[in-house]
Amino acid sequence: MEHAPSGGTLSGAPSRPASGAPAGAAAAVRAERLTKVYVKRRSLREIGVHPFRRAERITALSELTLETRTGEIFGILGPNGAGKTTFLKILAGLILPTTGRAVVAGIDVARHPQVVKRSIGFVTSDERSFYWRLTGRENLEFFGRLYGLSAAQSRSAGRELLHVMELETLADRQFMGYSTGMKQRLGIARALLHDPPVLCLDEPTRSLDPIAAKHLRRFVIDRLNRERGKTVLLATHNLQEAEELCGRLVVLDRGRVLRQGSVAEITSGLPGRDHYILIVSGLESPPVDARWALAMERQDGARARIDAAVDRDGRAFSDLLRALLEARGTIVSCARREPGLQEIFDTMSPDEERREP
Amino acid sequence: MSLLRTLLAFLKRDALIEASYRTSFLMQAFGIFFSVLIWYFVSRVVNAPPGTPGLEGVDYFSYVLLGLALLHYLSSAMMSFAGKIRSEQMTGTLEAMLVTPTPIGTIVLGSSLWDFLLTSIKVLAYLAIGRLFFHVVIQLDSLLPALLVITLTVLAFSGIGILSAAFVLYLKRGDPITFLVASGSALVGGVFYPPEDMPVWLGGWSRLLPITYALHALRRALLRGCRFADLLPDIQALVVFAAVLLPVGILAFRYAVRKARQEGSLVQY
Repeated sequence: MEHAPSGGTLSGAPSRPASGAPAGAAAAVRAERLTKVYVKRRSLREIGVHPFRRAERITALSELTLETRTGEIFGILGPNGAGKTTFLKILAGLILPTTGRAVVAGIDVARHPQVVKRSIGFVTSDERSFYWRLTGRENLEFFGRLYGLSAAQSRSAGRELLHVMELETLADRQFMGYSTGMKQRLGIARALLHDPPVLCLDEPTRSLDPIAAKHLRRFVIDRLNRERGKTVLLATHNLQEAEELCGRLVVLDRGRVLRQGSVAEITSGLPGRDHYILIVSGLESPPVDARWALAMERQDGARARIDAAVDRDGRAFSDLLRALLEARGTIVSCARREPGLQEIFDTMSPDEERREP
Repeated sequence: MSLLRTLLAFLKRDALIEASYRTSFLMQAFGIFFSVLIWYFVSRVVNAPPGTPGLEGVDYFSYVLLGLALLHYLSSAMMSFAGKIRSEQMTGTLEAMLVTPTPIGTIVLGSSLWDFLLTSIKVLAYLAIGRLFFHVVIQLDSLLPALLVITLTVLAFSGIGILSAAFVLYLKRGDPITFLVASGSALVGGVFYPPEDMPVWLGGWSRLLPITYALHALRRALLRGCRFADLLPDIQALVVFAAVLLPVGILAFRYAVRKARQEGSLVQY
């Protein structure tokens, strides 16, 4: 095995500010009508009782078509069972698609999985995926060898990444002594050992506390994307995280693409209502109109907090503001509340029952 | 060359993990010594004369010592591939290895190497203890043919071991073939007693097992100093076993990997 081809430089030479990669940039990852259908294995008892019954089929991905540009952070958003992990595992060569094609850096994943693996780094949220009795350094050196690095390259890459991940002082501690955040950072370090141009992060902040999660998000933006120019595919069910990190994203539900584009593009034009938080003083009673629903909560003194759901047509919101002012209210502050992921899903496919994986 | 480097990385990993258990080596050394001691006293009770059919003209203790030593190789070759896959699946490290460009065959082989190395050390320890403390005569002149016999035996049993790994990878459980071969080898393969001493309807099954030929050749080489030419019939049988079982195992393993990737169950257990 040769040293893997690199997409940036391990020493961190800036490639490009990436989250908003130029629209004309080359495709880093492309999915063409990618479909994955799992056929549930039948037990001997089932076969005996119903020998001719067709095995149950579960569609994890259905005709997924997308393209990520080189150097962007691309979000894959969806609830549990949406197909996010299946898609990333197809890219990583762990799962074969039923039909369709996935291409990483111009190479077909199903045909040349070993070649693609040199261009991709895969980070799971599974913190068990290291050898607990080895130190962080020993773990990185071992996995470096599996990525085709020589002993010296493996040592040097491991040393540098431990420094970048701020794990240098803990490098010689056994992995079992690491906190969850440290384990996650070591997971990212491992995925960077061969300096791949594309990084797949599968819910990287899932088990982190809010501070560690924020730290990790900044790291992804500043160090991985802006400094090193990595293309990042981020699977998450956290809309706020997707909005903070991703230039563009795809929303999946039960394997189907619900929407694709920027967060603004995805949330705009949805039927339903926009939500605003208003702090109003001097308001006696809230104005009533069929185009909005207001939940008012008195705060200290004459102030009130109003949770407003307003029809998404051109005039409703400005009419509401006018009505508040006419009712002798003074608008102290007004902030739009982005819809939660659940609200988006409910709006996009309100009639279908949600399911857990 | 790069394959060798990767395999060495696996050996280093397992050596470091083993060394992290401080008393592990010591306990294993005691285990080997006690095992030899137990069989020494059993042999004093058995006290079978060297002329007993199937004993190859050696005393019972020497006979059983070689049987035990080779049984370790059999266990390693048949159990370690599947065992390592299962253990890496359970610890979550298999997925982390499978996303690297290292082929899965190398991963399975590398993960099992430590077991083979440890087994070789154990076998040497058995022979050394037998020679130093219990005066078993080991014919070192026939070491090369003995090594050839061991290699062929390991290859043949590895075929079954890889087949077992395929079962674990695809069906998530051990296969019945391995169980039958392992039990059959211990029962009629000539590990603890000569199959010639058994009823023909039972002892006859020993001809279908590679261990029978391996032990026959190994005892003749190491205990009686027989030359290569004398061992040729057994070696030929072992070559046939290896030539059949190894490709069968590898093909089954490839099939299992493909099916598991299709089902998305490569890292499930």
